[in-house]
Amino acid sequence: MHLTDLRHPRPTRETPRPPSAPSRPARLRHLLTAAPFVLPSLAGVVLFLLVPVVIVLVLSFFRWNFLQSPQWVGFSNFVTMTRDDHVFHALLVTAYYVLWNIPLQTAIALGLAVLLNRRMPALGLFRALYVLPYMSTPVAMAVVWSWMFNGQTGLINHLLLLVGIHGPDWLGNAQTALPAVAMVSNWQYAGYNMLFFLAGMQTIPPALYEAASIDGASAFRRFTRITLPLLSPTMLFVLVTDVIGSFQIFDTVYVMTQGGPGSATNVINYQIYSTGFRNFDVGSASAMSLLLFGVILTITFIQFRFFRNRTTYEVS
Amino acid sequence: MTAVPRNQQAPLRTARYTLFYLCLTAIAVVFVAPYVLAIFGALKPASQVLSSSPWSPPTRLYLGNFRAILSGDDFWRYLGNTAAITVVLTAGQVTFGVLAAYAFARLQFPGRDRLFLVYLATLMVPNVVTLVPLYTMMRQFHLANTYWAIFLPYVLGVPYTIFLMRQYFMSLPSEIFAAARVDGCSEWRILTRILLPMGRPIIITATLIAFVFGWNNFLWPLIVTDTTSKQVLTVSIAALQSSFGEQWNLVLAASLVALIPLLVIFAVFQKHIVRSIQLSGVNR
Repeated sequence: MHLTDLRHPRPTRETPRPPSAPSRPARLRHLLTAAPFVLPSLAGVVLFLLVPVVIVLVLSFFRWNFLQSPQWVGFSNFVTMTRDDHVFHALLVTAYYVLWNIPLQTAIALGLAVLLNRRMPALGLFRALYVLPYMSTPVAMAVVWSWMFNGQTGLINHLLLLVGIHGPDWLGNAQTALPAVAMVSNWQYAGYNMLFFLAGMQTIPPALYEAASIDGASAFRRFTRITLPLLSPTMLFVLVTDVIGSFQIFDTVYVMTQGGPGSATNVINYQIYSTGFRNFDVGSASAMSLLLFGVILTITFIQFRFFRNRTTYEVS
Repeated sequence: MTAVPRNQQAPLRTARYTLFYLCLTAIAVVFVAPYVLAIFGALKPASQVLSSSPWSPPTRLYLGNFRAILSGDDFWRYLGNTAAITVVLTAGQVTFGVLAAYAFARLQFPGRDRLFLVYLATLMVPNVVTLVPLYTMMRQFHLANTYWAIFLPYVLGVPYTIFLMRQYFMSLPSEIFAAARVDGCSEWRILTRILLPMGRPIIITATLIAFVFGWNNFLWPLIVTDTTSKQVLTVSIAALQSSFGEQWNLVLAASLVALIPLLVIFAVFQKHIVRSIQLSGVNR
């Protein structure tokens, strides 16, 4: 997603416009030429993105189970939502999941990028291997990881036993289930994010590092004073897209824990799914969707503010 | 730096190189191990999966799990459903996406830039927000539980890839397009003769994005289908996992079958994929 473009649209290279505004017949001709190109995707955007947003807003004011006729209930769905412990708990679980996911995943990605950001043989191979999980079906990999986290037959506990530790039943334990699910996402997306950091690092002029070395800056100082500040646009992109994705985690949770044990991994997306499509409470599910939408927009906005207030050094 | 004689420096450097590559290899093992272990597990009979350690390779090539998974018609049907839906979804999304991206990048029409902003704004809408209303719409039009319902929301082009392609098309030299117009080329001819060959890298990228999305899609098919005849592979694997929970040999084999096409695509397009991910993130 390219959220930066929404706030700071770059001046785009326009095809030169004719000096005077085109006449009416010309405008009509332009429209007719463009119509077959634009109309299919416009139909898609309107029917499957804009209309649904309107419908979800409308549905949030009704009580409905997909079958009987909908019943207008005013703000009641929103009011019950603020009182409903499930929703609040689901948001907390989601936040907890994001905390297990994002910092570690970003740190690993950054570390991998530092390792691979040099000119040496065979690094392309390693880069590809680190990205491989990103391409794999989340449902299928969740099955494989469920097996590896299994209390009796799983790899993790077999490995722990080698050093004399009896590991827990990771996915059956309320304390360990959520971190375990988050580890799967970290594994799956660390390499993917590494690619963005690598691309960002390659735009940093080597002369900066040379100058710093001459001034006696240590490798750590060069990283914190040159690499990190100059990477902040990349960092913003990675954090915004990852946090948005992380808030919507579903596939892994569905396969590995079904929201359990108890409600230990009942993330908001899972709560919306079970409210809407298991309990057929359409109105509440719509209200929760809007809540999630609001939370994501707010966090995105905060991230933009945070990064805008920090100095970034323009290097051209 | 103190000067170290050459003959002393060389072994030091060799040691550092070895350490560096050992480190990279150790990390690679973490990323690749789940696949290797899944292959091991899928090639062992049930008893051996439970009795032996996960990292011990199968003592002999046992194909019983794959035979069990693939012997019924059901699994083939799910595989066929996923393959057909993914192909239709990809073909539509790329075709209509290219058309829209071309119009936004290279055609003049009233309201163009404002319309494009609307497309961009929809990038902010999280997927889950549209699921309840989409399902409602599909029911209303009697499309719920059909193949149509699974791909329809994504087949007419999605703003994300339209945006990617538009950026790329705008970076192509405009002189070529102008020259073609002067020579009396129609827009369709310009599209097929100039844009398609020149825009190949980004079109391949859009194709890969659409294919991987279609193949991996889970939540929407889970919601919109309720009979096994319309089920896709991801939904069937999740169902298999909950009904055969402890028969890891079977579930692992099924998961591997679902992964194979993506692994093949990754092996073939690996360089392209890496480049295109970076392109989509940095080209802002």
